[in-house]
Formats: sequence, structure tokens, C-alpha cells
Amino acid sequence: MSEQTDLDQLRSQVRAWLDANKPRDWRALSRTQDDFVKTQRDWFQKLVKAGYAIPHWPAKWPGGGRSLAEQKVIYEEIARADCPRLLLSFVSTYHAFATLHECGTPEQQDHYLPRILEGETWCQGFSEPNAGSDLASLKCKAERKGDVYVVNGQKIWSTMAQFADRCLLLVRTSSDGPKQAGITYLLMDMKSPGVTVRPIHQIQGDEEFAEIFLDNVEIPVSERVGEEGAGWAVANATLASERGLTLMELSYRMRGAAWRIAELIRKNGREEDAGVLRDFGKLVTQLDVATAIADQFLENRIKGIEGAGDASIVKNTYARALRDYSLLGLRLGGLDEQYVKPITFGDLNTGNWMADFMNSYAWTIAGGSDEVQRKIIAEKMLGMPKEPKGWVL
Amino acid sequence: MGAVIERQELHDAAQKAFPADALKPNRDESWKLVTEMGWLMLSLAEDAGGLGLGRDSAAAIHYEMGKALGTAPLIPAMATVQAIGAATDLADQAGWIERVTTGEFVTTNLSAGDVTGDGDALSGTLPAVPDADMASHVMLANPGRAALVPLDAPGVTVTERPLWDESRRLFDVTPGGYAPDPALVRATGGAAGALPRRLKGEMIFALAADSLGGANTILDLTVEYLKTRKQFDRPLGMFQALQHRCADLKVLIGAAEALLWSRAMQPDATMAEIGGLKAHATEVYRWVCEEAIQLHGGVGLTEEMYCHLFMKRANLNVQLGGNADLWRELVGREALAAAE
Repeated sequence: MSEQTDLDQLRSQVRAWLDANKPRDWRALSRTQDDFVKTQRDWFQKLVKAGYAIPHWPAKWPGGGRSLAEQKVIYEEIARADCPRLLLSFVSTYHAFATLHECGTPEQQDHYLPRILEGETWCQGFSEPNAGSDLASLKCKAERKGDVYVVNGQKIWSTMAQFADRCLLLVRTSSDGPKQAGITYLLMDMKSPGVTVRPIHQIQGDEEFAEIFLDNVEIPVSERVGEEGAGWAVANATLASERGLTLMELSYRMRGAAWRIAELIRKNGREEDAGVLRDFGKLVTQLDVATAIADQFLENRIKGIEGAGDASIVKNTYARALRDYSLLGLRLGGLDEQYVKPITFGDLNTGNWMADFMNSYAWTIAGGSDEVQRKIIAEKMLGMPKEPKGWVL
Repeated sequence: MGAVIERQELHDAAQKAFPADALKPNRDESWKLVTEMGWLMLSLAEDAGGLGLGRDSAAAIHYEMGKALGTAPLIPAMATVQAIGAATDLADQAGWIERVTTGEFVTTNLSAGDVTGDGDALSGTLPAVPDADMASHVMLANPGRAALVPLDAPGVTVTERPLWDESRRLFDVTPGGYAPDPALVRATGGAAGALPRRLKGEMIFALAADSLGGANTILDLTVEYLKTRKQFDRPLGMFQALQHRCADLKVLIGAAEALLWSRAMQPDATMAEIGGLKAHATEVYRWVCEEAIQLHGGVGLTEEMYCHLFMKRANLNVQLGGNADLWRELVGREALAAAE
């Protein structure tokens, strides 16, 4: 009972703080990528000072030491208050933190973790043009020469890499044995000579991702996390650190944005169109389903009863609902939505329906595509037989 | 605090009593069993002698009945027991409670009827009345009037309407000019006005639970079939094209269940919220069954296979208690008003 009281207290604290401090006009101020980056940097610093930026870090950090149940409360309130999403610091506070905290040396932790709170941002150098769903087949090559690794290759789909100070880099140090065994985990300074970043122009006009080209980039051996060849294990141990929190936040945001469809129905005078009302009603329940499964997933994690494949159900449910949300808006918006309008950065439910529709693909593709999730569900939850390995074409 | 029974205990007990590998059990034996198990007391208010458990407990039972294609009329029974328990102005309420929790069955309609009659002779038809052949009374809960109509009263006729769904029995009841016994009229006007909504809320919630239970079983059976049936020298379940379809069904069911159990813990859920859930859950069930037949291939169309039993029940669930068109429109209307 007292645990619930504590959570309720935390909720009112966070709510009161957000009421007083949340950025109110951030959408209007985020019409360019640079402006959005500035919005995020300012907001992140405010959250750090208030003690709400890193609730999942250990207690020795300001605002750290929060239980998963408390983290959930903070995320819920931030989503309900419709604050900017922290896309820019996401990899830093989750993946970089988890990697350093769980597998880094004390020197690496002391060096990098305080800097994250000061605003240093990280990107992920994992995917490659020929290593997407099959990540373990990555080819970016690192050769050991004395105290450094010399790295050559290309990375892609790195979120916000054009603004990042550092990179969590997976490289190939050996081609012998199983492909997973030759992967090593390095920490790279994005200002190192030989690093070129090229933003990827997406179809909706956003540049959320970038390519990273590495041309004889030298990375000191002291910047390696774990042993040489242990990179796959390090990546797997830390990839899932935020499991569930992001999707809960995004589901709440999407449910909270149902009014955008209502606005469209009114604008077009369709309030008495039974067909339109049904489609809207169907969507509203679908959004309720997405929030309920995201909630349940986190509750199960809090209780320690998460099952294999559960996260895949959450992801595919959210991704489908997000697509359907944008499709209904697009349909009801009519021809108007085919005329170009300014986009809002950093938000998935903006009411610019073509942009929202195009953005929704990020969630059916990134972070393990719908198809990868289906395979996990079929094999791990339904126990369906695996395909034989080594097809010969 | 009354007896605390964890929902999981009810699931376990129901699975034991009605295992999903004995589909469509005998109705009369099932009814005896559910009475003995005390399930009719679950949702009955504590001061009426019941356990006073929440919607989640009843839903657990309906979910398990859906899994086994249960035949006992628990959906109307649990709702009418609850209504009688709340009817403090009913003559001999205590006697009624005693009777309906120990085996006497009072049924009620699962679809809107056109019964009218202002205090006197009732006319019209009450459609979709489950298992009227074994019921003593039908609870008539039109807005403004809640009455118990004895099914053996003069003028009252009970006609079975054969269903595609073999796991249920529905009847048309025509009061044929019967004038309700004033002692069996719970109330007229305001107090009775709330009763139909409440009855309906419980029953459509039960239909949602039944549907997701059934969807689970038919998906499990389909996956098992795909693991054993071999073509091209491998189990069909090894083909990714089929795996992905099964995974999609699992996603639909798993996510819909999250909403079911979350709404079950929300006693103040609105009719629109319950109706939206019912529309969603029954459509998920219907779609899982449609896919199950296709994934079974030709054998899915044979009477000896189980697929059709689920498919027929799913289609009936879609229609009982108001179909998706009705509920989705209401959800849409309310969400529109909420966004004013």
C-alpha cells in the first residue's frame, strides 16, 4: 500500500513540476532540425536539473535509483504533458549508459557518464548497408595496430549521428568462426580524423538518421568495451535496457493525440457521418489496445514475469496502430493533405498526415522490423519449427 | 474485505472443470457443475450473500468457457443473478437469491427486443434468449421496466431458433399478452432504467472474454496442426509465410487481452468503453477463426474438425449484445464529444 502512496506522491510531484516547467510551444519552435536539436538540448538540461532525466541510473547520480515502477510514472507524466521527446539523448542515456555501466571499465565510466549529463550525445554505429535484419553479418573492419584499432567501413541508420559527439561502434575484428564471434565493441569519438557523416534525406523531409563513413579511423584499444570478439554479447546485454518504456510513452502520446482526428471530422463537417464515426471509434479502441498492452508489458517487467516474445507483441501492436492512425487522418484530410505543409520534428502524431504516414514506417522497420518480430513470436511464443539453416540457392 | 480469490485461481479451477480438449461439453451436466462450483455467487454482492468479486472474476470464467466452447448459459445467468441481488425492492428477494444460486435458471435476452406494454399486457418478441427451455423465468429489462416473466405463464410462448453455432441454444420468447405479476416487477421508472444498461454491460463484457478465450484455443489448435501436418517433407509450420500469419494472430489476441483485463479492473468503465472492447474482441475472434480454416486447408471445412465450431460461435458473438457497427459508432461519437 505504501508503495502505491509513494508512486502517487511521485506522480503529483512530477505533474506539478511539468506544469510549471514544460516547454509549451516546442512544436512551433521545432520547424527545422537545428531548432529541434536546440529544443531538446534545453529540455534535457532542465530534466537533468530537476532529477527526471535519468531515473534508471544508479542512485549515486542525480535523480537516479528509481524503480521501474517509478520510471513508468515519470514517463507517463511526461507523455501526458505532451513534452518534446528526447530523441537526441536517447542513445546516450539508455544504450551508452547501459553499455558503460554493465560492461565498461571504471575508467570508461568515470570519463563518459558525467559528460552525458552535461549534454554529450551518443549515436549507434550498428547497422550497415548489407547488415540490417542480419546484423551479425556486419563487415566494418577493425585491424589492431599497436595501441589502436584502424577501422574502415560504413554504418547506416544511425539516429541523429550528425549531432553526436560519440558513437557506440560494432566492428569486425575476425572473420574466423561463427559470424557473431568476430565482433568487437568500440567507443568512437565522432571528431576522429577519417569520420564522415552524411545525413539521410527521408521522404517526409526529415533527417533523423545518418550514414557514417570510416576511413582509416584510429580508435585507441583502451576504448574497447569487453574483450576482443565479445562485442555481440555486449550489444545484446545492453540493447534492451529501455525495453517497454519508449513504447509506453509513445502509446500514451498517440492516445492523447486522438483529438487531431476529431478536429478533422469537425473541420469537414462529418460529425453525423455514421461511417466516419465508426472508423474513428474503431481507431480509438485500437489506440486503447496499444496503450493497454504497453502498460501490461511494463507491469509484467516490474513483477519480473516478462515472457519471451512479449516485447514483439507490444512493438507490432503500436506500429500497426500508428500506421492506422495516420491513414485515417490522411483519408479524412482529403486532397488538402496532398499539399506540402511544414513538418514538425521529433513528433509522430503531428496532424501533418502525409508526414505522419511516412514517419510511421520507422516503427514497422526500425528496431527489428515487423517481420523480425513475427519470426520471434512464431518461434519463441508459438514454438513453431525453425527454418533449417544454410539454404543453398 | 470478503474472500480474496485471485483471478488465476479461477482460471485454474475452470480449466480443470472444463478442459479445452473436451470441447462443447454436455449442457445439463455443465450447468450442474457450474452451480456446484459456486460460480453464480462470484459477482453477487456480498450483502446479498455472494462473493462480491469484480468484473475480472466473472470475465475469467467466461474466458475459460470460451476456450472450451462452454454450453452452460453462464452469460445470462451471472448477469441475472447480479441483477436479482441488486433488486432490493423485489418481493421475496432472499428467496430468489437462494433459488438462482442453487440451480434455478433465470434467462434474459442477448439482443434488443420490441416488447412493449405499459404495466398491463405485454406484446412483441424477445429475441436471442439463451436456453429458455431450462429457464423458469426470463428477465425483461426494457428501459423503464424490469420484470421477471414466468416462461410457463399462460400466453407466453417459447420457440427455439436453430443456430449455426452448435454450442449454444437461443429462443424467441413472446409474452403474448401476459401481464407481469406486480410482485415480480422490480421497479418501474428511474431505478429500473439503470438495470438494462448494467445487465447489458455485464453481458457484452462476458462476450468479449468468451471471444478471446475461444480465439486462444483455436490459434493453439491451428499452430499444433501446422506443426504435425507435413507437406514437401517438412511440417507446414516451418514455412515462414504461415508462421507470420500465426504470429499476427497472436499479436491481435495478446494485445486485445491486455485491454480486456485492464477494463476488467476498471469498475467505472463506460458503456462505450465496454462496447468498444466487445466490438474489437469479437472481430479479433472472428478473424482468427477465418484464418484458422484457411491455415487448416480442406480439412478445416470438414465437420469432424473443430474449426467450424469456433467460427460459428465467433460469428454469433459478433452479433449478440450489439455488433461492431453499433458500438464503434458510439465510441466514435463519445470520443468526438470528449475532444470538444
